Amino acid sequence: MEVKVEGGDEFANESYALICQNIFRDLGVRTSIEDVYLFIEPREHVFILSVRIGRVASPVKVSDIIQLEPERIKILDERYAPKLLALLWDRYGDRAQQTGRMEIGLQLDEQEQAALNALVVYNPRDDLVTRLLDGMDRILPEGARVRYPLPSPQRITLIASENAISEAWKKRAEELIRSVSADV
Amino acid sequence: MYKIMMFEGGVYKFNELKELIADIGGFVLQESVMQTETLMHLAFPEEEERVIRDKIKELGGKFKELPLAGTELMIVTPSMGKHHAVDPICDISEYLRRKGAITNMMGLARGVGKRIAQITVEEKLILEEFDAAIFVFGNLKECIEEKVRLCAEIDLPLVIAGGPPDLELAHYVGGMGRLTDRMRRKAEFDTLERMAAELELVINERRHELDEDPLAVSPLFLKELIEMVIPPVPGEELPIIIQLNGLRMNLTGDDIAQIREIPVGTKKLADICEIRPSLYKGFLLKIRSEAETGSVF
Repeated sequence: MEVKVEGGDEFANESYALICQNIFRDLGVRTSIEDVYLFIEPREHVFILSVRIGRVASPVKVSDIIQLEPERIKILDERYAPKLLALLWDRYGDRAQQTGRMEIGLQLDEQEQAALNALVVYNPRDDLVTRLLDGMDRILPEGARVRYPLPSPQRITLIASENAISEAWKKRAEELIRSVSADV
Repeated sequence: MYKIMMFEGGVYKFNELKELIADIGGFVLQESVMQTETLMHLAFPEEEERVIRDKIKELGGKFKELPLAGTELMIVTPSMGKHHAVDPICDISEYLRRKGAITNMMGLARGVGKRIAQITVEEKLILEEFDAAIFVFGNLKECIEEKVRLCAEIDLPLVIAGGPPDLELAHYVGGMGRLTDRMRRKAEFDTLERMAAELELVINERRHELDEDPLAVSPLFLKELIEMVIPPVPGEELPIIIQLNGLRMNLTGDDIAQIREIPVGTKKLADICEIRPSLYKGFLLKIRSEAETGSVF
């Protein structure tokens, strides 16, 4: 994930680059982002944040996170336990019972096992935009609550300010994003 | 003037230290005995420091200076949102507590932004109940330079903290604006130390002002008197908090009525103090100056 910050003084640019890195890392979306561009204009209080989505991780299948045993399922990755349980309850109802922290009691025949293994527990693409927008909201100053989304291909771009966003700034943002996209 | 230090040691003869403190006219402000470990915050006249240090050494204990003990502080941020809390205000708060201060945190109702940032009259009045405050701002120089107007007209020792390393502002500490994780590196601890030192400076200025017009009695002495009438409940945390020129009392209205009648020397407590409900918590007791009340003893 490349991060480029410009417009402010040296300290502001460096500190916001670090903020971008850390926030997207904490949200677990770093690997899905190609590049981040942030333009800061502190005097007029205008911020332009643009994120290009890169390669998104593949969907996580049930077979990736469980080990099937004769009368039970062993969970190998606890992070997906809630989603797995919701899936099992939806499909098998009361037959699926969580008998331990990493165990689910469920008896399945061969056909059912094959069908279960092929199911998708979690697709990172489903909530990627939500997580990205959450990250962008955390990066942008809290006082910059007037937001204008700028449509751009393969990017999510927001203009943010505490004041109304003028047409001049919208045009400037378009030029900046065009030049950043051309540079890549 | 009283000096406040922390004693850290074992249970071996620690009562002798307490008796010595009482003999020289000092106070035990806080005491915590956990199995074989004892922690005490001690206040004693400055000139008796050598005696106390020698006693602590004799008992095989350790002592630590608490430059901010006897003060109640407020850490102010533009809001309590993710941008400002938890980092760095919790680290600031913890560090100042280790220096002896009692700390509180306030997120302004409408403190975000640059032009739109505001502070209400009630927020200013609440801040003025404390001994000092630290305003924690962000990383943009232009924003901080405009937002310091929030601190104008607050009659309180202040420290301004922000991200940019250097700004031409009175009592400014850089290196602690918007952070995304805990302050745990050496350079960050140095920054916290600089902030504590700056706070100690502004508080000492206020202490000197009080020395020039001394209080009728010491807040430490009043705390002892009040606790003799209304003993602290075991397990209750900080019912009485010491401030530079008074106390914050987390007591009921009936208790307050009772303590007004406590004799202090030749006068009553109500004669030498102003007691009023706090806008923040409990009741505030502000000690009048000796020039106003006359000699108490």
